[in-house]
Amino acid sequence: MAKVIAIVEDDADQRSNYTDAISKKGYEVRAFASREEALEGFEEGLPDLAILDIILGDEVDAGFQLCRDLLARAPSLPVIFLTERIDEIDKISGLRLGAWDYLPKPISLDYLAERISSLLRINEARDTTETSSARQIGDLALDQDALLASWKGQRIDLSGTEFRMLAKLVRMPGHAVSYETLMNATMQSIVSNNTINTHMRNIRKKFEKIDPDFSSIKSEYGYGYRWAQQ
Amino acid sequence: MKLRQRLRGPRLGTKLALLGLALLIVPWFTYRQLVEMERILVQSQSQAQLLTAEGISTLFNGREDLFNDLPVTLDAFEPLFAHPLQTTVRLDGVADEWDEGLSDEYLTFGSQTGDRDGDFRLLLGERSGQLYAHMVINDDFVVYRDTEYLRLDNADHIRVDFIQNDGEDGRILLVLGESAAVTGFAMDDQWRFASTGAADNRIQGGLSWNDGELHVEFRFPIELLGSRRYFGVTWVDVDDPASREVTTTTRTLPTAGKQSFNLVILQSPEVRNIVQGLGYSGARILVIDQEKRVRAETGAIQTNSEGLQRTWFREVAELFEQVRPWIHEIIMQEPYINDHAGEQALVADRAIESSLMGEPIALRSRAEEDVEIIMAAHPIISEDAVIGTVVVEQNIDNILSFQRNTLEQVVTASIVSLIAVFVAMLAFAGRLAWRIRNLRREANAAIDSYGRLRTGELQNEMDAGDEIGDLARSVSNMLSRLQRHNSFLENMPRTLRHEINNPLNTLSTSLQNLAEENPAVEHSKYLESAKRGVHRIGSIVQNLADAANLEDALETEELELVDIGELLENYVANCKLVHENTSFMYRGPGRPAFAMVSDFRIEQLLDKIVDNAVDFHRPDTTIRVQLDCFRDQLQITVANRGPVLPEAVEKSVFDSMVSHRGPQNRLHFGLGLYVVRIIAEYHGGYVRAMNLADGSGVAVMVQLPLADVPENDIRGYTPIVTERVSAG
Repeated sequence: MAKVIAIVEDDADQRSNYTDAISKKGYEVRAFASREEALEGFEEGLPDLAILDIILGDEVDAGFQLCRDLLARAPSLPVIFLTERIDEIDKISGLRLGAWDYLPKPISLDYLAERISSLLRINEARDTTETSSARQIGDLALDQDALLASWKGQRIDLSGTEFRMLAKLVRMPGHAVSYETLMNATMQSIVSNNTINTHMRNIRKKFEKIDPDFSSIKSEYGYGYRWAQQ
Repeated sequence: MKLRQRLRGPRLGTKLALLGLALLIVPWFTYRQLVEMERILVQSQSQAQLLTAEGISTLFNGREDLFNDLPVTLDAFEPLFAHPLQTTVRLDGVADEWDEGLSDEYLTFGSQTGDRDGDFRLLLGERSGQLYAHMVINDDFVVYRDTEYLRLDNADHIRVDFIQNDGEDGRILLVLGESAAVTGFAMDDQWRFASTGAADNRIQGGLSWNDGELHVEFRFPIELLGSRRYFGVTWVDVDDPASREVTTTTRTLPTAGKQSFNLVILQSPEVRNIVQGLGYSGARILVIDQEKRVRAETGAIQTNSEGLQRTWFREVAELFEQVRPWIHEIIMQEPYINDHAGEQALVADRAIESSLMGEPIALRSRAEEDVEIIMAAHPIISEDAVIGTVVVEQNIDNILSFQRNTLEQVVTASIVSLIAVFVAMLAFAGRLAWRIRNLRREANAAIDSYGRLRTGELQNEMDAGDEIGDLARSVSNMLSRLQRHNSFLENMPRTLRHEINNPLNTLSTSLQNLAEENPAVEHSKYLESAKRGVHRIGSIVQNLADAANLEDALETEELELVDIGELLENYVANCKLVHENTSFMYRGPGRPAFAMVSDFRIEQLLDKIVDNAVDFHRPDTTIRVQLDCFRDQLQITVANRGPVLPEAVEKSVFDSMVSHRGPQNRLHFGLGLYVVRIIAEYHGGYVRAMNLADGSGVAVMVQLPLADVPENDIRGYTPIVTERVSAG
């Protein structure tokens, strides 16, 4: 049975574009134009994955509210935000706990499809088995399939984008990874050094929350980042 | 600049002070008015006095008889005129109580020269019914009366001849006593013995002897002389106290026997009686006959010479008196004459003469130092002939002192009020200027040197009700409108991004779907260029929004202690990887340079500067990066060889949207160096761009405050601007 993807987007053209693109990938798409419409739709049945635009009509944080509602019903439901900018997500504290990933517009439909499939896969992987495909780099353990990372045995909540960047960074420990490489890992169409820096800072903070002495992510000023083994 | 400011016009305070001078018109007008008023008052006073004189003169019109109790022709007589005396005379032989003007009126008798022994001078005066006589006698040796003798004529003595009321001859002999007393006795016709035993006490007198001159003063009632007033005085000189022979006899009578008597001319009692009742306060009325003799007099000129109190008020007024002629000339446009009055004697002569000619006249005259009077004279007419004149004298001090006092008050009040108004105006102007300065300062501070709005409203003067308050409110209003507009502009990139990103997203996803749907077009160059266009628009919007949000974004940045030296070293090393065709050189102080920064904002800053340097550097030259430490500042310098900055743009390169690149670099928008400035300023530093000293290129310098780390010192800095660093 096809997975059900819910799309909430107020712009009709974009909505239909998403719908077309995702339908073609073999998913069942349910598209909504507003928060009320979406809530009604969710009454009939929860989707397997939700793609939410944050600004819906006049409601500037309708996407966040929808996310909260959805996660209240199904805590493990993958949610992807389509946003104007990462900063705006950062401003909303606690959101990162719930949302799985976010994509700044303009988006690449290929990247979107890829994310959808990986998130669905990950959800399944998390549901079914214990992590087996984990890769160990020093104190860091990365499970590519379940998109789970842990540091010194403790789980670290990373968004999809953050996980992919971290994975890129640790592929060759001790070697500098350029901004360009890291940009590719974000799977976004327009990325600046600042975006990378912001992501990296967030990743660092998440590690430091568990381990205040964490210092494996080194800046290579003017070039990129480096994973230093401790 | 200062000069031009001055030329622009006086400051507010000066203007108000100048306006204050307009107040001078008040004393100006008052002065004119007062001078006019004085004129009118004096004139009307003169008129009044003339009228009085005229009124009195009409009483005498046609009353020749009143003046004719004297023989009109005095040829037959040697007249002795009895001057009216103003003061009481003390009979002590010293004539100092006699009126001063009378010293020339003495008549000399005896020899022609008047200096022979026995010659004498005589002055007669009249006061309250008494006839006063003052005799100054040349006498080598005074023989006083010896009371041993019964005869009275054997000592120095004075004989007084007159005709009594009953027509009989009267003889009185005045003897000189050693006690300086003069005693009179009625005598027998031989002038030897007293006709009565007792002295005649109606006659009183005194004497003094001084250096050969014997002064005798005596008086007796005028009624003694009877109505005819025939009167003669004879000095009988006895020089030998032993023989007591009469040596000289000197008479007032021209020739003994022919006419035994002089005629005493007195004021006319009838005339006086008429005038007496007319006297009024403060005025003196004189009736003068054709021969200019005073026939009647009543009243006295009032002189209120009470000591003036010396107050500060008067001091100011006296100061004013000093400059009054000058002020008078300015205001009245005529020379100032303080002394309207002539000498009294001259004026009186003129007045009387004119009046006796038949012309009524009123003149100002000076009676004493401080007393000014008006003298009005009106002729007395009888049968078309002038028989005399009436002179009315009155003190005009009350008028003058009224004027003076008013003047003093006006002057003082003007000065005080001028000062008060000046002070008030200066204070007002000062306050006004202070308020305006405050407002200007605040309004200036509302916009920083880059033209950014710092505040949307003013604090000062907002509650003031006057025009400055209005100004403050309108400026504040302007600022708040400007702020609204500014925030609209500031939010513009964000709004723009939102508004553009959605259609862009539509465009982008549509293109992707299109390619998916029609595999034939997937590799069409048009699709590719459309995708590139979308990407480019996205980048532009992104950059704009980033720059616009930079200040907000910086606020959330956490600062940490970073060794800038290490960061730079690392950065420059990585630059060589990123910009493969460019050579970089780093020179640092060789020791840590710690600063509180956000490391990747500094990285962003360096990116922009280095990008700039790379874009402008001449191929095959080295881009030099140097770190210098000063006492509390560190300086990052990035220098490249290449085109220099035009002088005009040195200051503006760090402003937003200012780009001095060519048109081929449209993506930059001049945001790069603006971002550098914002980041440097956020870290408490600043940035400037300068041409290298040798003109071979440009250096961008960022100064940041060093963190308070103990091992800082100031050794070893070498400013790159003045030093040529050899490439390589």
